[in-house]
Amino acid sequence: MAGLTFSPDMRGQFAAIARVRWQLFVNSLRTIRGRMEVVARGFIFFGFGMGAIIGSVALGFSAWYFVSSGRVDWLPLLLWPVFLFWQLFPVMASAFTENLDSSNLLRFPLTFPSYFLIRIAYGSLDPSTAMGTLWLLGMSIGIACASPPLFFVAAPVLLLFAIFNILLARMFFTWVERWLAQRKTREIFGVLFLFMVIGFQFVGPLVRHYGNRSHQPAVSSVVVEALPIERLLPPGLAAQSIAHFLRAEYALALGSIALLCAYTLAVLWLLNLRLRAQYRGENLSEAVARTVAPAGKHTIQLGWEVPGVSSPVSAVLEKEIHYLSRSGPMLFTLLMPVVVLLIFRFSSGKTDSAGGLLGHSSDLAFPVGAAYTLLILTNLVYNSFGADAAGIQFYFVSPVRFREILLAKNLTHFLVLVVEMVLVWIGASLMYRPPSFDVLLATFTGVFFALVVNLTAGNLFSVYTPKKVDLATLGRQRASQVTALASLGIQAVVLGLCALAILVARAYHHIWIAAIVFIALAAVALAIYFLVLNRIDAIALQRREAMITELCRA
Amino acid sequence: MSTSATPAAPAISSEHLTRRFGDLVAVQDVNLRVAPGQFFGFLGPNGAGKSTTIKMLTGLLAPSSGRMQILGIDLTQDSVEVKRQIGVVPEGMALFGRLTGSEYLNFVGRMYGLDRSTAAKRTAELLDFMQLVDQPKALVTDYSHGMQKKLALAAAVIHGPKILFLDEPFEGVDAIASNTLKSMLQNMIARGATIFLTSHVLEIVERLCSHVAIIHRGQLVAQGSLEELRAGVEAQAAAALTAAGAPHEIGASAPAPGEKLTLEQIFLRIVGGTRRADQELSWLG
Repeated sequence: MAGLTFSPDMRGQFAAIARVRWQLFVNSLRTIRGRMEVVARGFIFFGFGMGAIIGSVALGFSAWYFVSSGRVDWLPLLLWPVFLFWQLFPVMASAFTENLDSSNLLRFPLTFPSYFLIRIAYGSLDPSTAMGTLWLLGMSIGIACASPPLFFVAAPVLLLFAIFNILLARMFFTWVERWLAQRKTREIFGVLFLFMVIGFQFVGPLVRHYGNRSHQPAVSSVVVEALPIERLLPPGLAAQSIAHFLRAEYALALGSIALLCAYTLAVLWLLNLRLRAQYRGENLSEAVARTVAPAGKHTIQLGWEVPGVSSPVSAVLEKEIHYLSRSGPMLFTLLMPVVVLLIFRFSSGKTDSAGGLLGHSSDLAFPVGAAYTLLILTNLVYNSFGADAAGIQFYFVSPVRFREILLAKNLTHFLVLVVEMVLVWIGASLMYRPPSFDVLLATFTGVFFALVVNLTAGNLFSVYTPKKVDLATLGRQRASQVTALASLGIQAVVLGLCALAILVARAYHHIWIAAIVFIALAAVALAIYFLVLNRIDAIALQRREAMITELCRA
Repeated sequence: MSTSATPAAPAISSEHLTRRFGDLVAVQDVNLRVAPGQFFGFLGPNGAGKSTTIKMLTGLLAPSSGRMQILGIDLTQDSVEVKRQIGVVPEGMALFGRLTGSEYLNFVGRMYGLDRSTAAKRTAELLDFMQLVDQPKALVTDYSHGMQKKLALAAAVIHGPKILFLDEPFEGVDAIASNTLKSMLQNMIARGATIFLTSHVLEIVERLCSHVAIIHRGQLVAQGSLEELRAGVEAQAAAALTAAGAPHEIGASAPAPGEKLTLEQIFLRIVGGTRRADQELSWLG
């Protein structure tokens, strides 16, 4: 057949993809919403840019100080935070991270290497990669200033470390995405996570046990126990190789680099397994085998009947809960507040009393966990129709008012928050100590006020700037950047008000004063919430074309 | 073309219905009139304005100007009451992919105000009728295109609507399912419902629909019963023959002597649409 002799080369395909991305960007500027997205991206870029520059300077200065003062062994203190940020930020801030839908690419005659490179390139455009790379660049410059010859070793080592981080983040995403895609693997993953949480409970007592046995102060004993392991892990290896070169221990340095290379290759191999499976057209759907059901014999479960609300509200609530319970990535994200508490718990060597970053004030554990829970929930609240996709059309043709639909969605968000708060309370009580009644009351009232503010704003943003998301795929839950930016601003205002109320309460030595302030603020917020809810039908009708266009996008 | 006069109040009517997208006038001055109990086919070439019109009639799109009435109720005045009376299968099918088929139908039934037990009972019946009971735990997103179409149609009828709007209901549906759908739609008509359907499959429209309207470049160019349309086209052809003295551009679409014009022939005569042989893509094959 004519035309089959044409062999598309990789360069041509990459150029075509770059051109189409550019054209999509230019076309997006035709609408006001598209222009607003660009402005929002500009602000977000500025924010991340500042973080990158400040972090770069700070890390560069620290690296310069460590090398020039002979404390080169302290370099891991800089590389570990970079590593943790690089790997955790995409999961903890999914509103800023987007994964590529590979099915769009696979219909083209791409070779596997092209596909692999495109997946890596796309994944490398997220903020954590950009910031992490700049931070490592800052460190390289700092090391170069302290010891110019060392730069020629530090730069390639840190480049290798950056490549390792990029590949690990991609590998982590693709594998977790695979595990969360199906119920069976999701359950295994959930059990493993539970074991990890329980396992962490034994770290404290074990460390205390070994610390007491060696009669050393707890902090140094932890360091002594952890150092040999730390030196075998990638951030430690990268730091060690630089340190060994500075001390002219070339064999050890090369050994460390070789081990870091081995880690990188292992990650590359694991990533290759996943991407190859995707390239071959793997389908991770949860389709089940056909069953032969006798006609008319099957029974259908009755829908939920939630007391105190109308039938459509119950129906939407039931549908929302089904959606959430089937979203592995969302369930995973909802576990993050407990993970954050774990990180704080084991973030320092202070294991004697309450321990961790919050050790000096363990009453803060519950409010911090609760605040983080609310922050995670904003991804759902500010894009309520994102997961409905083409289903949005049904809401517009059904005889149910949008205020009822949004009320049901808000009820779901409220229920999720309650469950999360209970989880955080249990976590905080186990890892630290149960929060006092005053703290509990202030936290609940504060969170309630913040929730009402967020629901009000979220309902408006859900209608004005919806964005289609896929709750079943990790990294494809990025909200509109206008929404993300606005929600950050709203969180800042809410947090400021809460901090002010707590400061006033502390000044009078009565934390319940904060609770009263929060109740008053919540009352005002509730009034505005119902005002917005009553107007939401008219707004939704006005915005229906834009909503349908965005959410029904292929 | 003539518009057939119906004694009863129309099930669907529009006056000067117009929709603009910037400078493009997608639908211009469309005056539709569909009598109760009619199986109405709404035809037109790609981009003619069919979907835009159906979206406006079902409340998915606001008209730039003009009026619409469904069962005598103004859609802009009391949209909720109108939506209670109609069932819709829109272009995107309006499905919730992360629900199972039975959960979806149950959900839709309750959104239309059915009580829990009625919704569950009708869900079971519809799944059975549409032959969707094989995979009770499969999510809608994992259904084939044809299964999704059947599910969307089941959802559109679960509340027993008086008017059914269907945008390309037979697209991607196999012959068995197509037969099931056709018999269901004909049963609905027999029980007094009105069906408004757009389709590119003209044979199906010809077999099912009693009345047809054709939209071309945003304007309604024909409306009436099939016989009325046929008579109109034949009269035009006769006039052209008299004027030119020879058949003009009838070619392959001309019927054999004594045979009736098919809907496809009528459609092609009205909207044009012949392509010259030298326009073929010579590099193909």
